[in-house]
Amino acid sequence: MSTTEAMTSRQSEKQRHDDRAGRLERLRHAIEHAGHLLPSQGPITVFVHHNTLHAFEDLPFDEAVKSGGKTFGCEPYLAEERYREALERGRIRAVDLEAVLRRDLSRRSDEPILSLGTRFDLRLAMLTHSIQSGPAAELRWFVAETDALERIRPDAPPAARERLLADARRWAQPDSIEARQGTQGRAEEDRLHKIMADALHHFGDPTKNDWSSRTWEKFMLQTLWRICREGTRNLKPVAASPPAITRHRDLLFQATACDIDLLVNDVLIRYCAAYLDQGFAHRLLPDRDRGFFQSFCTIHRQPFGSPERWQRGLEQELTRLQDGQIGPLACLAESLDRLGIREEKWDQYLSATLLSLRGWAGMIQQVESRSDRVVHAIRPGSLVEFLAIRLVLERFALQFVAREALGYTGPLADLPKAAKARIPHATPPVAEKRAFVVFQLAQLLGWTPSELHRLSKQEWSTLIEEIESFSNIDRRRILHGAYERRYFNQALDAVATHAKRSASRPEKPWFQAVFCIDDREESFRRHLEEASSDIETFAAAGFFNVPIYFKGAADAHYTPLCPVIIRPKHWVTEEVAHPHHEEHVRRTSLRRAIGTATHRIHVGSRTFTSGALLSAGVGLLASVPLISRILLPRLAARVRQSFSRFIEPPPLTQLRLERTEETAGPEGGHIGFSVEEMANAAEMLLRDIGLTSRYGRFVLIIGHGSSSLNNPHMSAYGCGACAGAYGGPNARAVSQMLNDPRVRTILAERGLPLPDDTLFVGGFHNTCKDSVTFYDVDRIPASIRADFDEVRKTIEETCDRNAHERCRRFESAPLSLSPAGARRHVEERSEDLAQPRPELGHVTNAVTIVGRRSRTRGLYLDRRAFLTCYDPTQDDADATILLRLLQAAIPVCAGIGLEYYFSHVDPQGYGCSTKLPQNVSALLGVMDGAASDLRTGLPWQMVEIHEPLRPLFVIETTPEVMLNVMERNASIGQLCHNEWILLATLSPDSSDLHLFRDGVFQPYTPETTELPSAKSSFDWYSGWRNNLDFAQIPA
Amino acid sequence: MLTETLLAWIVVGAPTVLLCVLGAWSLTGRRLSERFMARAVQAAIVAGLLASSAILTIMLVSDSRHIVIEVGHWVVVPDYHFSLRFMFDRLSVPFVILSYVLCGTIGSFGSRYLHRETGFNRFFVLYAVFLLGMVATSLAGTIETLFAGWELVGLSSALLVAFYHERPAPVRNGLRVWSVYRVSDAALLMAALMLHRMTGEGNFDALMGTGSWPFGEATITGGQALVVGLLLVVAAAGKSALVPFSGWLPRAMEGPTPSSAVFYGSLSVHLGAFLLLRVSPVLALSPLLCGVIVALGLTTAVLSAITERVQTDIKSALSYASLTQVGIIVAEIGLLPPLLGPWACYIPLVHILGHACLRTLQFLRAPTLLQDYRLLENAIGARLPRSNALLQLLIPRPIQIWFYRFAMERCYLDAWLDDFVVDPVLRLFQSLDGLERRWTTFLAGRPSHPREHVQPTATIFEER
Repeated sequence: MSTTEAMTSRQSEKQRHDDRAGRLERLRHAIEHAGHLLPSQGPITVFVHHNTLHAFEDLPFDEAVKSGGKTFGCEPYLAEERYREALERGRIRAVDLEAVLRRDLSRRSDEPILSLGTRFDLRLAMLTHSIQSGPAAELRWFVAETDALERIRPDAPPAARERLLADARRWAQPDSIEARQGTQGRAEEDRLHKIMADALHHFGDPTKNDWSSRTWEKFMLQTLWRICREGTRNLKPVAASPPAITRHRDLLFQATACDIDLLVNDVLIRYCAAYLDQGFAHRLLPDRDRGFFQSFCTIHRQPFGSPERWQRGLEQELTRLQDGQIGPLACLAESLDRLGIREEKWDQYLSATLLSLRGWAGMIQQVESRSDRVVHAIRPGSLVEFLAIRLVLERFALQFVAREALGYTGPLADLPKAAKARIPHATPPVAEKRAFVVFQLAQLLGWTPSELHRLSKQEWSTLIEEIESFSNIDRRRILHGAYERRYFNQALDAVATHAKRSASRPEKPWFQAVFCIDDREESFRRHLEEASSDIETFAAAGFFNVPIYFKGAADAHYTPLCPVIIRPKHWVTEEVAHPHHEEHVRRTSLRRAIGTATHRIHVGSRTFTSGALLSAGVGLLASVPLISRILLPRLAARVRQSFSRFIEPPPLTQLRLERTEETAGPEGGHIGFSVEEMANAAEMLLRDIGLTSRYGRFVLIIGHGSSSLNNPHMSAYGCGACAGAYGGPNARAVSQMLNDPRVRTILAERGLPLPDDTLFVGGFHNTCKDSVTFYDVDRIPASIRADFDEVRKTIEETCDRNAHERCRRFESAPLSLSPAGARRHVEERSEDLAQPRPELGHVTNAVTIVGRRSRTRGLYLDRRAFLTCYDPTQDDADATILLRLLQAAIPVCAGIGLEYYFSHVDPQGYGCSTKLPQNVSALLGVMDGAASDLRTGLPWQMVEIHEPLRPLFVIETTPEVMLNVMERNASIGQLCHNEWILLATLSPDSSDLHLFRDGVFQPYTPETTELPSAKSSFDWYSGWRNNLDFAQIPA
Repeated sequence: MLTETLLAWIVVGAPTVLLCVLGAWSLTGRRLSERFMARAVQAAIVAGLLASSAILTIMLVSDSRHIVIEVGHWVVVPDYHFSLRFMFDRLSVPFVILSYVLCGTIGSFGSRYLHRETGFNRFFVLYAVFLLGMVATSLAGTIETLFAGWELVGLSSALLVAFYHERPAPVRNGLRVWSVYRVSDAALLMAALMLHRMTGEGNFDALMGTGSWPFGEATITGGQALVVGLLLVVAAAGKSALVPFSGWLPRAMEGPTPSSAVFYGSLSVHLGAFLLLRVSPVLALSPLLCGVIVALGLTTAVLSAITERVQTDIKSALSYASLTQVGIIVAEIGLLPPLLGPWACYIPLVHILGHACLRTLQFLRAPTLLQDYRLLENAIGARLPRSNALLQLLIPRPIQIWFYRFAMERCYLDAWLDDFVVDPVLRLFQSLDGLERRWTTFLAGRPSHPREHVQPTATIFEER
C-alpha cells in the first residue's frame, strides 16, 4: 500500500511538474504572441520604413486601422475637420464623396429613413457639414451663448431653409392652430400645442404685428429645438459596450487618479536605457551579461537603497527571487497569480502591459532578435525578463497606491473589485446631445417641425439609431475614401492619357543614367531628360543588385549596404591608390590622434577635474564655433571642409572588388567577388531595368544618400534600399564590374553584348545638398575626357534645377530664388545645426509606377512617384523579373507610404511628434525630454506636408500576370487583397488600365482624357508651393 | 558720463522694448510673422550687445569701475526705500555681455529651429521675458531689482519647460521646476527683507561699502552676514540646482533644444553662482558661511559627477556635467576669495563664462550625437573606449553596485525631498484645510462646499 501511495504521490508530483512546465511554456507563448504588437523599429541609426500596423496586415485596411487604433489608442484617419477643409478647397470633390458613399452603402443607399429622405441624403449631409456635438454642458453653453437658436445654419441649403420657414408660417396661421385644437386627445398633440402656445406667447401674435423674417427664423428654430428635445427625451441610451479594462492600473487610475505607470516607468525607463546602452554611459551596467532579470535583481537588492516609499520591500522580494533561483518565467507566473489573472486572460493582460512602455519593450525585442545590427548584443529572452520585472514593480506600485489612495490593503487579485466600487457611475446625459444633432440635421435637410413632431417614440428611436450608426470613424472612413479617390483618379487618368502618347527610346542615346527608384529622384530624372531628348534614365533599387558589407578608406567598420531583409554575402573595401600609400598612413594616424583628442575632450568636459580645467581654461574658445556655426553655417562648413582636406584620405582610391580566395569574407583575399559573381550581379541589373540594347557613350549609375546635422533620424532620409546608408559604393562597384572586360565577355556569351566604347561611371547623389560626385574619374581615358566633362556639366545644371524644384516646398526659401541660389540654399540646409528640416524626405510620396520609362517620360509627377524600371516585353512568361522586382518594391514603397500615413494621421501616437525636444538615448533611439518612452515612427517635421494616402501601385503588365504574382508571393497578395495598397495594371501594349478592387481586376474608365501641358517643369511649378496636378512636359 | 548713461539705458531698454512689443502684440491675439519676431529679437539683442560692449570699452579705457543708472524709486518712506537701479561694474558687464551673446546666438538658432512650430510666438515672447530677466538680474543695483529679474527668469524657464503642454510630462516637470524656484524665491525675498532691516535699503552699494566689486567691504556684522548669507545660499541652491534641489535639472529638458541649452546649459543655471558672487564681500565676513558654501558646492559637484557617469542619454549627461561645474564654481566662490583675496573672485567669473560657452555648444549639438560618434569611431578606427577609472578597480564590487544604483536613481535626492519636505508640508496643509473646514462648518452651521472631485479623463479610444 505504501508503495502504491508513494507511486501515486510521485506520479502526481511528476504530473504537477509537467503541468507547471506546460504552464510556463504556454506563458512564454503568450508573451511571444503579445510581443507582435510592439513597434518593430530597430536602432535609429538603421532606419527602416515599415508599415506601422504590420501586425494587423491580415485584416482589411479599414478594419485594421480601427482595431489598431483601439489597441494602441491612436487615430485611424485624419480628423474630420481636416477632410472638410479639403472639401472646401476642392481637394475632395462632391462627386468623389458621393461615389464613395454610394459604393459603401451599395443597395442600402436609397432606403428611406422614415419619411425624412434616403439614407444616402442623411449620410451625405453628415459628411459634408460639420455637426456640432460635445458634452451636455458645452452644448448648453452653445445654445445659450451663440445664435444657434436665432439664425438657421449658414451652410443650410436654400431649399431646406425655405421649407422650414414656410412650414413655420403655415403652422402659426390662426386657422391651423384652431384646427389642431380640435384634434384633442393625443398626448403628443397636446405637447406640441403647448410648445406652440409657449412660442406664440413669447413672440406675440404673428397676425397682429408684422413679424420680420428674423423673427420667423427665431420662432421656427425655437420650436424646432423644443420639438427635438421633446422627441429625444427618454429614449433608450446608447448600447455602447464600455471599453474593456484589462489592467489593474486602469481601474485604479479611474478610481483614484493616481497612475502607477508613472512610478513604474520612471524606474524602468532608466534601467532599460542602461541595459540596452550601446556605449554612451561611462559605466557599464553591473551584471549586464547575466541578463535583464538577474542584473535588475543584483542592483536593486542592495541594502540602503531607494527611500521611495512605494519600493519598500522590493529588496527582500528581489533577494527572495534571486536566492530562491526563481526564474523570470516562474516569477511572471507568480505575479499573474497574485494579480488574479486567469490563463485565458494572459494574452490580453500581457499585451496591454507591454504596450504601456511600448517603445522600450519594442527595442528590447528588436535588439534581442537582430543581434547582428547592434554593437552590444543582449541575451535572448530579455523581453520575458523585462515583463517579469515590470510585473514585480507593478505589484509594489499597485499595493502602495491602493493603500495610500484607496485605503485598500487586501490581496491584489481582489483590487479590481474594490477599485470598481469607487468609480463613480454617472452615465452622461445623452438626450440633449441627440436633440442637438437632430436639430442641426433638420436645418440641413429641411425636416420641418411639423414633420418631426408627427414622429412616434418608436420612430424617434429609429431616427436616432440611424444617425448614431454612422459614427465618427465611419464618417472619416468615407471622407478618407473620397480624399484618396480624388488623387487615385487623377493619377490613373494622367497615366492612361499620357501612355497613349507612344514614345520610343532614342535611337542613339548620348548617355544614360541609372538612379534609385526613390521618389526624390523623379524630379532629377525629369530635369535631366528635359535637358536633351538623347538622355535616357533608368531606375533600380538603390543597392543595384550588389548587396555588400562596405568599408571606406576612412571607415572603422563595415556597413551593410542593402535592404534589411538581405544579409550580404560579400565584403568590399575602398583602398587608397598605391602611390599615395604613405600619405594615407600618415593621415590615418593624424586622424586617429585628432579623434582621440576630441573624444577625450568630449568625455573629459563632462567630468569633474578635466571638465573644470577645460571650461575654466579654454571654455571661452567654444564661443568661436558656437557663434560661427549658428550665424554663418555655410561659411563655417566651408572652413571645416578646407581644413579636413588635409586629414581626409587622399582622393585617389579604388575598390577592392575581386577576391583571390575561394570563399568570401571580411579579411584579406576573401574580400570581394569572383568574376562569375560579378557577371551575375551585372547581368541581373541590366535585365531588371531592361537596358539591354542601344547603349550610350556613358552609362552613369548613381546611388544616393543624405547628409544633415542635428538629425537623429538622418538614416530615415538615406537610401531605403541600403538600410538608410549611402548607396554610392554600390553604384561604384557595379559600374566597375560592368567595365571589367572579363565580365563583358561572360555577358556577351549570355546574349548581352556591351559595346566597347560604352563606359560605366558610378556616382553619388546627395539628395539634401543636391550634389553629384563621380567615382574613378581618373580612370576615364583622356580621349573621352572632354565628352565626360560635357556630361558632368549637364548633371551639375540638373542639380541646380532639381534644387530649385525642391525649394518650392520650403517655406523659408523664397519663391524668387534662382536655380544657383536654390542650390546654395539647400547646401546651407544640410550644414545648419538649427535646421530641423534639412530636406523633406519622402514626404510627397503617393504612387509607385513599375514599367518602362518611355510610358511615363514627359509626365510631371511632382516628386510623388517611385519609379521602378521594368520592361514587360523582355520578361519571360512566368514573369520572373516582375516577381523579383515587386518582392523588393512593394514592401519597400508600401512600407514608406504607410509609415508616412500613420505618422501623419496620429503624430503623437504612431509618429514621434515634434523632434525639437528630442533626446538621443542609449545611442538607439530618441525620447521626449529627459525621460520618456522611446519614440518610434517619424517626426512631425518629416511628415508635416504629407498627404496621407494608401500607396497606389501602377504596374505595366496584364491583370493575369499580376494575379499570378500575387498568388506566388503571399505577402504581396495579402497587401493587395486587404487593400493596404491600391493596385492597377497598365497594359503593355495599350493605354488600358485595370483596377484591382474587391479581389478582381476591373477595367478602369478614365474620368477625363485631358492632360494640361507646360513648356517645362519650371513653367509648371514655379510660383507654387502646394502639391501640383499632373501635366505633360516635352522631354 | 552722458554717453555712458545713454549706453546704459540702451542696454536695459532694448530687452524692455522687445518684451513690450512682442508681449503687447501677443495680447491682442494676432499673430506676428516669424520673420518679424526673429528680426525684432535680433535687433534688440544687437543693440544691447553693442551698447554693453561699448560700456566695457569705456570702462577699460577710462578705468571707471562703476556706472549706476537710477530709474527711480518705487516706494519711499522714512528710513526705507525701494528703488530700481542698475549698476555696471566688473561683474555685471561681463555677465550681461555673456547673456547677450548667448541669447543672440540661441535666438538665431531658435528662429530656424522652431520654424512652423505652433508655439513659435509663445517661445519668443517667453524668450524676451527671459532676456529681460537676465539683463535685470545681471545689472541689478539693488536686491529688489535683482529679485524682479530673478522672478522673470524663473517664470520664463518654468513655462518653457512646460512648452509642450499637450503632453503631461512637460507640465508635471515644469510644475516641479516652478515649485523649487518658489522655495528659492522665498529665501531671496527673506534675505531682501533682512537686508532692509539691517541697512535700511536694498542697495548693494550700501551693503558693500564704497569699493567697487570685488573690492567692496561689507557694512554689516559677521553674525548678520551669516543669517543673510544662508538665506542667499538657499536661494542660489534652488536656482542653480545645488544639493538637495538637483533633481529638477534633468527634468527641465522637456522644452525645445535651444531653450534647454540657454537655460540649463548656460545662463539660468549659473544665476545662483552669480548671486553669490554679487554678495561676495558679505561672504568674506563669515568663515562659517564660506565653509557651508564650499561644502554645498563640493557635494553637488561630487554627486553630480557620480551621477553623470551612468547617464545613458545625452541631455541628462550634459545637465549633470553642467551641474558638476556649477558645483565647482560655487565651491570656488566660497573658497578662493577668503584664501587669496577679493581679486580671486575673477576665477569663478571666468569659469562661469567659459563653462557657459562650452556647454551651450554641446547642448546645441546634442541631437547630432550619433553622427559625432560615428565620425569619432572612424577617426580612431575602433569602437570608442569606455573610460575606466582606476578607482573602479580598487573599490569592492558590492560598493560599486550600490553606487551604481545610487547614481542611476540620481542620488535619491528627489525621493528624499518628496519624503521629508513635500509630504510633511502637504499633510500639514491638508490638516489645516480640514481644521478650517470644520471651523467654517461650525460657524455657518452647515457644511461648506465639498472639495471638487476631478475625474481623470479616460485616455481610452473613444468612438464618437
